[in-house]
Amino acid sequence: MTSSTFQPTSVLLDKGVIRRVYERRVRLALAKPPTVLQVEAANSYAHIATIANRLYITEQTANILKRRTEIFAAPILADTRALKKARYLRRWARRLTDFAFSSEDAIVLAYGSFGLDVESKTVGVDAIITTDIRLAEHYERRHGEIKHRFDDMIVNLPETYAVLRLPQVLTTAAILAMV
Amino acid sequence: MMEKLTVDAEGKIVIPPEVIQKRGLHPGDELTLVESAEGLLVYQGGVDEKTLAWWNRLDDRQRLLAEDYALRDENLSEHEQDASWNQEAESIEIEAESDELDLPTN
Repeated sequence: MTSSTFQPTSVLLDKGVIRRVYERRVRLALAKPPTVLQVEAANSYAHIATIANRLYITEQTANILKRRTEIFAAPILADTRALKKARYLRRWARRLTDFAFSSEDAIVLAYGSFGLDVESKTVGVDAIITTDIRLAEHYERRHGEIKHRFDDMIVNLPETYAVLRLPQVLTTAAILAMV
Repeated sequence: MMEKLTVDAEGKIVIPPEVIQKRGLHPGDELTLVESAEGLLVYQGGVDEKTLAWWNRLDDRQRLLAEDYALRDENLSEHEQDASWNQEAESIEIEAESDELDLPTN
C-alpha cells in the first residue's frame, strides 16, 4: 500500500499509540530524547491527523486519558472522539478470539467494525493504527477467514448492520513508510 | 512516500534531491537509522508538528507545570505505568453487553 492508496476518512488509534503520543509529550517537557516507539507513534499521529477527517479512540482509552495529567492528556482528548459500542460488538469480539486474538485485541478490532460515533451517527472505521506489529501481522494473515466469518455474522443481523465492514489494521511504522 | 536507496561499497546511501528539498535537509543534518521489526527506518530529528504545536501553545508557567508533572510521571515504575494504562479493561462477555447501543436507523 502507498500513500496514494491509503486515504482513510476515519481512523481508530489503539491505546498503545495514544500512550506513546502522551509519553512523547512527557519526554519533551523533560527535554529528554524520546524512544523509537514514542517517535513512531507521535509522527504517525501527526501524519494521520492531516489526512483523516475523524480520529477515534476506544472508551477505555478515553477513560484512562481522563485520569492522566490534564496538561498532556486534554489536547489528545480534544483531537479525538471516543467510540461507543454498538450492539453485537462483543459478540464479534468473542468470535475474533477464535482466531487466537486476545480479548483486549479482539475488542479493539471489534470497535473497528462496531464502534459507534453517536455524533455523526457513523459506525466502524476505515483503519485501526497500532504499535503492535504482531497484531497487524496476525490480522493480515487470517484476514480471509476473518472476512468470511464476519460476512456470515452480518448477514444474520438486522438490515441496518449490512453497511458494516472490516477495517484495515496498520502499524505506526507502516504509516511512516507511506509519508 | 517510499524511496528505495542503494548502499554503495563504502556503506553510504544517497538521498534523492526531491526528498532533501521536501524535508528541508542540509549538509551536516543528522538522521537516525533505526532497526525495527519492519526493517531499517530513517528518522529525521526534531519534533513532530502535533507535539510541537502543543508545546508552543504552553506559556512559561504551563511549561514549568508540565515539567513538574512529567517528572512525577517518569518517576513511576514501569509496573505502575503499565497498570495505569491498563485500567478498566473492557469485557467481551455476554453479561457486559447491556451498554451496547442500537445503530441509528436513518
